[in-house]
Amino acid sequence: MDYEKLLNMAAELGYQLMYSGAEIYRVEESARRLLHAYGLESPEVFAIPNCLIVSVATPAGQPVTRMRRVPLHGTDIELLERCNGLCRRLCAEVPPLDEAQALVNALPDAIPRYSPRMMLLGYGTAPAFFAPLFGGGLGDLACAFLCGLAVGLCLLYGGKFIGANSFFRTAVCSALAAFLSLALVEAGLGESVDVVTISTLMVLVPGVALTNAMREIMAGDTFSALSRTADAILVASAIALGAAAGQALGGLF
Amino acid sequence: METVFWEYALPCVCAFWACVGFTLMFNIHGLGKLIAGVGGALGWLVYLLGGQTIFAAFLAAAAIGVFAEVMSRVRRCPVTGYVLVALLPLVPGGGVYYAMRHGVAGETDAFLSTLLHTFGMAAALAVGAMLASSAFRAVFPRLRPPKQ
Repeated sequence: MDYEKLLNMAAELGYQLMYSGAEIYRVEESARRLLHAYGLESPEVFAIPNCLIVSVATPAGQPVTRMRRVPLHGTDIELLERCNGLCRRLCAEVPPLDEAQALVNALPDAIPRYSPRMMLLGYGTAPAFFAPLFGGGLGDLACAFLCGLAVGLCLLYGGKFIGANSFFRTAVCSALAAFLSLALVEAGLGESVDVVTISTLMVLVPGVALTNAMREIMAGDTFSALSRTADAILVASAIALGAAAGQALGGLF
Repeated sequence: METVFWEYALPCVCAFWACVGFTLMFNIHGLGKLIAGVGGALGWLVYLLGGQTIFAAFLAAAAIGVFAEVMSRVRRCPVTGYVLVALLPLVPGGGVYYAMRHGVAGETDAFLSTLLHTFGMAAALAVGAMLASSAFRAVFPRLRPPKQ
């Protein structure tokens, strides 16, 4: 068997899983099971939120290692579910390596994705329906929808201008949300600045980082849990800073 | 009847649609959208019934954890997506905002107490969902799908 090919295939699957936002234990377990299914006795897989290392010793005693750096990524549940399904299938069927590699490579392109327009609709809908939850009326709902659209536009198309740094990006979007809600409420569309701002900020809130941090703790990956918790706290402070800046800016006019 | 509608049914419907909005951002398709939305509505209902306290958030997160575990067994899918989206309405965005407002206004006492309340909410959500799904796995180990 070509162990280098096997290693590449397992590392690629692990990389895709990481990229979809899977938990660390899921990535490690999947890659380990896959290598096990191909007959390796003790494959070693180590992952932290932005790095994946897969190392095996061939039956001849030759050690082979592959490392993948995982860039900044979002959450893509469809990709996660398909990777998971494919991993199960590969473990059960153990197809020839070239075939398996082709299946893994085909994964990211075969994923159905929402068009930018649908994503924008999501960015608008979520804050709009949060407004009544926080005690707002119909006017607040409309305001939150507009502010959500603006934040969505900023996140989807503004990447070139505000860069990929998540702290800065969140701060800019939060400032935009705070400023716009102040402006819209002043213009008479909404009733409560607080309700509209909070509803809009809910799309930026680090709920994903928080939930993932808790799942890492549950699985015993303390290191990853700490780094995700730090991420959540950083994003939360970016939201607070941005909103403060946005309101101060709005107060000038 | 009227109060039940305004106090409970309407917020839950809103939580449902808010979660469905989030599924568009996380690329969840098909039945998963419905499950995530129902999870969010269920969590918010428990939170309202519990009186909107930190303990209520804990119970709500536990309810979401169990619901998501059951659904992931039914669909044989990773539990990640459902928990992730359903918990989002409970995440204390308001707490962060009000803490910022108090901080900017220089009201140190109010700032600290809001900040601590926010951390309490976040911790309650984390612990609630964590305990519920660990307990679920311990009680029904046979339902566990081949772990991957």
